[in-house]
Amino acid sequence: MIKSGSAHSLLHDVKNRGISAWLLAAILTGFYLVLYFTEWLAVPARMIGLESKWTLYGLLYTLAVTAGGVHVIRKYRHNRYQVIRTCVVIFVQSVFAFSIPQMLKFLHQPEYYFSYFWPLKMDYLTPSYIFSLPLPYILYSFLGSALLVPLLGALFGKRWYCSWICGCGGLANTFGEPWRHLSDKSNASWRIERVTVHAVLGASLLLTAMLFISWGAGKTNPAIVQWTAGFQSFYGLMVSSMLAGVVGVGLYPLGGTRVWCRFFCPMAALLGLVQKVGRYRIAVKENMCISCGMCSKYCEMGIDVRSYAQANESFTRASCVGCGLCAEVCPRGVLRLENVRTQAPQQAALVQIEGIRADRRLV
Amino acid sequence: MHYVMIGNGVAGITAALKIRERDRHARISVIGGESDYFFSRTALMYAFMDRMNPRDLEPYERKSYDAQRIERIRGWAAGLDANRKIVRLDDGREIAYDRLLLAGGSVPNRAPWAGLDTVRDGVVQFVSLQNLADCERLTPSTRQAVVAGGGLIGVELVECLVHHGVEVDFLVRDSWYWPVALNREEGAIVSDHIRHCGVRLHLEQEVDRVTAGADGRVSSVRTNKGVEFPCQLLGTCIGVRPAIDWLKSGAPGLALGRGIKVADDFRASLPDVWAAGDCAEFTRPDGGSLLEQIWYSAKRQGESAARAMLGDTAAYRPPLFYNSAKFFEIEYTTVGEVTRAPAGATTFFHRVPGKDASIRIVENEGAVVGVNLLGSRWNHKWFEKWIAERRSMAHVVANLHLAQFDVEFGRLALESVRAAFQSAERRAA
Repeated sequence: MIKSGSAHSLLHDVKNRGISAWLLAAILTGFYLVLYFTEWLAVPARMIGLESKWTLYGLLYTLAVTAGGVHVIRKYRHNRYQVIRTCVVIFVQSVFAFSIPQMLKFLHQPEYYFSYFWPLKMDYLTPSYIFSLPLPYILYSFLGSALLVPLLGALFGKRWYCSWICGCGGLANTFGEPWRHLSDKSNASWRIERVTVHAVLGASLLLTAMLFISWGAGKTNPAIVQWTAGFQSFYGLMVSSMLAGVVGVGLYPLGGTRVWCRFFCPMAALLGLVQKVGRYRIAVKENMCISCGMCSKYCEMGIDVRSYAQANESFTRASCVGCGLCAEVCPRGVLRLENVRTQAPQQAALVQIEGIRADRRLV
Repeated sequence: MHYVMIGNGVAGITAALKIRERDRHARISVIGGESDYFFSRTALMYAFMDRMNPRDLEPYERKSYDAQRIERIRGWAAGLDANRKIVRLDDGREIAYDRLLLAGGSVPNRAPWAGLDTVRDGVVQFVSLQNLADCERLTPSTRQAVVAGGGLIGVELVECLVHHGVEVDFLVRDSWYWPVALNREEGAIVSDHIRHCGVRLHLEQEVDRVTAGADGRVSSVRTNKGVEFPCQLLGTCIGVRPAIDWLKSGAPGLALGRGIKVADDFRASLPDVWAAGDCAEFTRPDGGSLLEQIWYSAKRQGESAARAMLGDTAAYRPPLFYNSAKFFEIEYTTVGEVTRAPAGATTFFHRVPGKDASIRIVENEGAVVGVNLLGSRWNHKWFEKWIAERRSMAHVVANLHLAQFDVEFGRLALESVRAAFQSAERRAA
């Protein structure tokens, strides 16, 4: 039941796909279309002394993360995991994803974002770009993507990146807090997610391979260069602009905050594969779940956490970003994020019956 | 073979799914009067507070029932004819069964208060979807409410009303909150917290007389101490009892006590009829009766009763008692015997300084028999293990960290617990 008062009605409306939510989604989508496909935002950027629309965007993004983060810290102040995690998110966004790149530019260094890695940021393994940078940047880029990302993923799950460092995840977990419950929890959406997110991962791998081939063998084979450039601009338009920006953030008020992360992000897909064989899991306290469903409701990745909790099944799902909200909202303290050495016996041991998860989860 | 469950709550649905898991061909029907689909009663408060939609309370996707070929029949059972093997619904429909499970759950206790018969509106309970609808209908026109009953459902209703800005007078008849489960010190921690959340908690007071206004809606409540509390809503949360009224005249030959009398294989006194969940009454080895009326027991009994109906032979033995709850922000876990510990048991109690958190460990004849844990998260499985292994209190205190289940970076510091235990040991020596 909605709390009485017009402010509460509006809040409910905007958080639950009401008219105001559709309006806000239209505004956000419009903003991203303007940002990516026009130069209109260059005008206000210049007016406040910023050199480009992208700097203005970075500033707005950082402000949104900070303001939302302060709200989240207040809301979950009793939960140290949430407080520390959100502080880190704000810190990384304002320092590594905004201040340092601006400073580097000021010092005539490359505008490098130390909090982003390939394949989320395709540039950082695009040979023609990355090899134009000074050696430390090249090393950071290669070692980061090839070593740091998977290693930390194996040790702590993908959460070290997706809900502590990443800007997309950072915005979702701060500014996006009011809409986290809108993610679709159905079995059907899980099936779709597995197809789409791995398809984008495949596309990003293919593109990277083509970029290296065209960089190495392009001089003798101009056709490869041409195909690669075509594919690169298609990927840039579809994935980086449309899916990450327009759809990813524009649909916050309608589809929840992690549409991009869940259905499309190649980095999340890659880290998800690492997560499945790594140490991270959500531990379920045996026979303590009351099936209330708060965990599923507030899972931004659309994982039906309750189906595991009520079946007493500790689990690792590739999509879980480890935001920890399921454990926070559980009224019986049933769930806990853990990094353990041995994986609990999992889904593999259970009989899967097509079309129903409920059944195979029911011990 | 047609299995019919009466009751689509956790016991009935768990039994139905369990039977389907073992028997892919049986016909399975579930009769429910309250809702079309199984929902989590324990989450009613979250629907009331707009944290969830009613649909979110359903633990299984709706299409699951078709996929599992579980037929859902909406209606209230009104009669049972064991000779013809037929269940009669209140609209006259007849459902034939081969094996029947009675899993009708509980209904709220009737309040014995004077004046209640003159009240036509404004008195609510908080255990069913229909109760939720009543609460939601009445809350907008409620400025002050009285909630009577110092148990779990009471405090949940209070939390919901406070959330909606209603002033609440919370009447608890005992000298501290929830003495069935909490000792005085724990009751005080919870009471202080409830008061801190803006509730006027009145201990040792119960409703004596209820008064209705000219419109028939409740207008005030007078307590046994003669205090008058004006209110537009009165929540009666004074416990539940097995929902067996329909069986008293409608099921000739069925042995009833407080609930439906069953043997330890869930068999009721009629052939091919079983009962499980809140409404099943077992006989203890000492001759006393046993009713288990919490979520966990209903789920466990539903599962075990399904096995019994499928022909497994195993006697049901309730495991060591455990439960959990949440009072506003304070989480609670209990394992074993605490308030009902044997005479002569010794207790270690420690309240963590500066926190609404406490630990109580009860030891009898050198072995821990129960714990009460407030304000932090614990894995009850460890305590079950220690109790089963008859571990000493010293062993449990030394190993407490193993059972901690708090969020990362948020573990309760155990130094003060261990220091308090050591000084208690020294005093004892």
